[in-house]
Amino acid sequence: MRATFLSDWSADHPWLTVVLSVIITALMVSFIPRIKIDTDPENMLDKSEPIRVFHQQSKKRFSAYDRVLVAVVNDDDPDGVWNPDTLARVHKLVKKIERMEGVRPVNIVAASTVDDIEQVSEGTVRFRWLMAEPPKTREAARHIRDRALANPMLAGTVVSLDKKAMTMYVAIEGKEYGHSVATGIKKVIAELAGPEKYYITGLPVAEDTFGVEMFEQMAVTAPLAGLVVFLLMLFFFRRFGMVVAPMLVAMMSIGWAMGLLIGTGFTVHIMSSMIPIFLMPIAVVDSIHVLSVMFDRLRHGEERKAALAATYEELFWPMLYTSLTSGAGFASLILTPIPPVQVYGGFVAFGIAAAWFLTMTFLPAYVMLLPQKGLQRLAASTDSEGEVDHGRIARWLERLGPWTVRRSRLLVAGTVLVAIISAVGISMIRINDNPTRWFHAGHPIRVAEKVLNERLSGSYLAYLVLEAKNLDADGAYLSELETRLTEWSKKLEDGADEFQASGQEALALVKKAFPEAANSENPREAVLLQAMSALEDKLYEVDDDQGTAMEEVLRWLGDEAGKTKPWSDPAALRRLEKLQRQIEKLDGVGKALAITDVVRKVYQELRGGDPKHSVIPPTSSAVEQSLLTFQSSHHPEWLDHYVTPDRRAINVWVMLRSGDNIDVTRIVGQVEKLLDEEPFPMPVQRKWAGLSYLNVVWQARMVGGMVWSLLGSFVVVFFMMVLLFRSFWWGFLTMVPLTLTIALIYGIIGIVGKDYDMPVAVLSSLTLGLSVDFAIHFLERIRSVYAEVGDFNRAIEEMFREPARAISRNVIVIAIGFVPLLAATLVPYQTVGFFLLAIMLISGVATLMILPALLAVFGEKLLEKAEVTHSTYRNES
Amino acid sequence: MKPTRLHGSQKTRIFGLIAVLALFALAAPMPAMAKPDANLTAQQIVQRANYSSYYSGKDGRSKVKMTITDSQGRERRRELTILRLNSVVGPEAGKGSDQKYLVVFHRPADVRGMVFLVWKRAKGDDDRWLYLPALDLVKRIAAGDERTSFAGSDFFYEDVSGRGLQEDEHKRLPDEDGLYVIENTPKKPGSVEFASYKVWIDPETFIPMKGQYLDRSGKVYRTMEVQAVETIQGNPTVTKSKIADVGRGTTTILEFTGVKYDVGLPDKIFSERYLRRPPRKYLR
Repeated sequence: MRATFLSDWSADHPWLTVVLSVIITALMVSFIPRIKIDTDPENMLDKSEPIRVFHQQSKKRFSAYDRVLVAVVNDDDPDGVWNPDTLARVHKLVKKIERMEGVRPVNIVAASTVDDIEQVSEGTVRFRWLMAEPPKTREAARHIRDRALANPMLAGTVVSLDKKAMTMYVAIEGKEYGHSVATGIKKVIAELAGPEKYYITGLPVAEDTFGVEMFEQMAVTAPLAGLVVFLLMLFFFRRFGMVVAPMLVAMMSIGWAMGLLIGTGFTVHIMSSMIPIFLMPIAVVDSIHVLSVMFDRLRHGEERKAALAATYEELFWPMLYTSLTSGAGFASLILTPIPPVQVYGGFVAFGIAAAWFLTMTFLPAYVMLLPQKGLQRLAASTDSEGEVDHGRIARWLERLGPWTVRRSRLLVAGTVLVAIISAVGISMIRINDNPTRWFHAGHPIRVAEKVLNERLSGSYLAYLVLEAKNLDADGAYLSELETRLTEWSKKLEDGADEFQASGQEALALVKKAFPEAANSENPREAVLLQAMSALEDKLYEVDDDQGTAMEEVLRWLGDEAGKTKPWSDPAALRRLEKLQRQIEKLDGVGKALAITDVVRKVYQELRGGDPKHSVIPPTSSAVEQSLLTFQSSHHPEWLDHYVTPDRRAINVWVMLRSGDNIDVTRIVGQVEKLLDEEPFPMPVQRKWAGLSYLNVVWQARMVGGMVWSLLGSFVVVFFMMVLLFRSFWWGFLTMVPLTLTIALIYGIIGIVGKDYDMPVAVLSSLTLGLSVDFAIHFLERIRSVYAEVGDFNRAIEEMFREPARAISRNVIVIAIGFVPLLAATLVPYQTVGFFLLAIMLISGVATLMILPALLAVFGEKLLEKAEVTHSTYRNES
Repeated sequence: MKPTRLHGSQKTRIFGLIAVLALFALAAPMPAMAKPDANLTAQQIVQRANYSSYYSGKDGRSKVKMTITDSQGRERRRELTILRLNSVVGPEAGKGSDQKYLVVFHRPADVRGMVFLVWKRAKGDDDRWLYLPALDLVKRIAAGDERTSFAGSDFFYEDVSGRGLQEDEHKRLPDEDGLYVIENTPKKPGSVEFASYKVWIDPETFIPMKGQYLDRSGKVYRTMEVQAVETIQGNPTVTKSKIADVGRGTTTILEFTGVKYDVGLPDKIFSERYLRRPPRKYLR
């Protein structure tokens, strides 16, 4: 079978081909309305990833709901937002938020939804709402502010440390409510019409907003880029009939790829939303190639069908190889361990295959169906190379060719220099990502985030989950208990005999309880509880003095039982508190909130309110009694945010002022070091969760994954080139411009200090795929030209006519065509625009200057030896 | 016995806490289901319900097992004893009269010996004290919001000591399933988190068997149901009740054992002095 059987068959059955193409396209496009946008950064990891499972489990375990953050600032008032008017509006706002669909009213944290414990007089405390009603006077407003500041759980969050601002944390049932709740809040704020400024952010809002904007980019920016590409081609080729075919091929392959993606149930992520943008240049470039050569032949009087056959004969192999190499670059992304990147890579690869297939089938059918007259007109109107004369560019290119040969050594030296600079630049690359930065700097979400990070405790969150084990009740524990009991009873002065007797009795009961209790979940606690129950039964049989002694022993046992719960142990809590203060000193940390803050606040107020009592109480029962007192509030279940009911695991809420992965990674490392240097008194397993931490995890994978996928596709492309040219050295030569392009682009990124983030990483495959195209076409062509003319200099001259113009035309069309992307509101789109521009310019220049220079220095022998393998490029003039 | 169809009481009183203590003056034998009396006004019904929930007998004692289940199904158990002393004895007490409560914690082990003392006043604010044995500290709790959690459960303080009848408007709605239905609307809506609540009251025992609290958007966010009633010393007594907080996803079940009325509790034990050493013989 001939390699060109597809195009031959399509040329023989043009109507059938077109109808089939349209049917398939319609089918694929019919899936598109089912589109599901996915903007959840969590989905960068597979649902079953252990870290993600742990994250979800921790969220549930510690009732950590997704939250919309509302910061309120009033810089015109000397008291900031803490004045009666503002507080009245804020109070009203919270009341309205509570009734919004999807909001969890019981989990809203705001000045009017939190409790205060207040000293009323000596020995009397009052539990009440911090702000049940808006204050009437300035003094009352300041009082509320000061009470909040005196609460370690609220200082820096509900009230800013500069005493001027506040934050409300609006818990929602699920991320899907983020957008509607944020919109509802904005509406209420507009009605309230105060002088305060409100800043709304939080991940659910960011995600939703991102989804909306992504849609806009897809619906506006991408088609706009398509339009510009179309107009540019129209400018170069002047003929609508000529230009419309490549656009149709591009749009159909985009329809196939996106339709299949959506139809197979995948969600559209930020990267896959850009699939149309990637497919457009790739699809357009191939079809233009076909049409150029084809009209060229027509103009030389060949019959339509024969011209088509000859064109495909000539272009089949280079087109197959450029498609394969581009496809390989994207398909290699399937190897990265990040699902959205896999989907993206896979479907771009599919789209490239679709574009190739349509170029092989639809395009010849289209040409066959053009009316004869129109065809003649198209052919005639184009100049000898299938395009209008370029004028200045063409003349400049013609001079460039011989110049590259004359200055070949200089160019090679320059190439080496550029390579060295690129290497230096690459070594300077800073790997960092932060999905919030995918919004441009002036975006309201970025502005809100700035306020939260500069004036409050930060908008990012990581959870440090510390889990302790229940310890065995063994002989060692028994003798430990015995020693402690003896020491304790020595300290008692009165009724020592009764205490001794009760103590001994208790010990006997503890011993008795051992065998049975040893297998329970918390064996030590079970032993003590069993002994306590047994002792309590005896309590009612004894006389008063004995009973009093027993009560004391029971209390002691109760305290021991408390100690068996790891996070009731004052020693553990004191270490935790120290750790929090250490964490808060780290650069980029706003606050580290934990169970200790609840304990010491309640303990302080119970002890009379003096700040010197803001400490961890001395015994585990004092800790537990403080916690039970805290639970006698409006929000008993808020304790779950910090500790599990069995006191085995705690969650430290590490609030971060930066969500940059580079900062989060550093802080995590620093905290780990602090924990290693001074561990807890008991064995503790530590694990991280929280979105900011998940980002770090997938970034690490992405970087590793991308390096392998890039290297992998690099090797694959190299082997393909060796295969295509049947020569190691020719394969090697093909790799030079693309290597230099990738190196230089990433070198520039390193030098200008743009972070290497997810879009930048993913674009390496685009670079590889697009820049190899020029090299393949150039080298294929020069081999056949050289074979015909037999002289290197003449071959170069030829090359810098039509082939060089084709390359520079592609550079211009695609580079300029995607300039609208630079104006996109989402940074990843801008990044893609920059990349397309850079890839086109650099690989164009590299191909047109470095390849001839290299051939001039090293390659004439290669050319002599080269046999023209697949293609039969003809030299026209 | 099979959980009877619930009734709720006026707001909080639903709580078994109080209900347990309450000796019923009505002391009617259970079997013959009485029919609702069409002539009773809302005010009369709530008074009798108040009485049967909170004021039975001269005094009362009960051990309470509290099981709090959170939205993840995790359980916390507490054990405590409640002692109650009436100032007025007999149905008249249901109009609202002074009472004293002593609540002593036994479990969790590390809060053993924690005590709440409440002097409930028909007029004026209640007095409350808290004793924390680990700190050997007696704290007076100033009158404040009574709709805060009782010891981390879904019961409020107000559920323990009863909500004043005069705080709500009471309206009798058509009977349902042979139960009186009373709708209660707060006179000061700003001071409470509910917009209204409905209770279903057994016409025989006047025990509120079921209650529903509605928020401002008209949704039920909190429910109470009595799951078991026994006649003790002639008093219909709630022995198991449940409160569910829909918003939080938590439930609390109270089980009452060792219920005894007319124990002969001395007034002096309801004092600050006894907080440190609650009398063992009454706690059994």
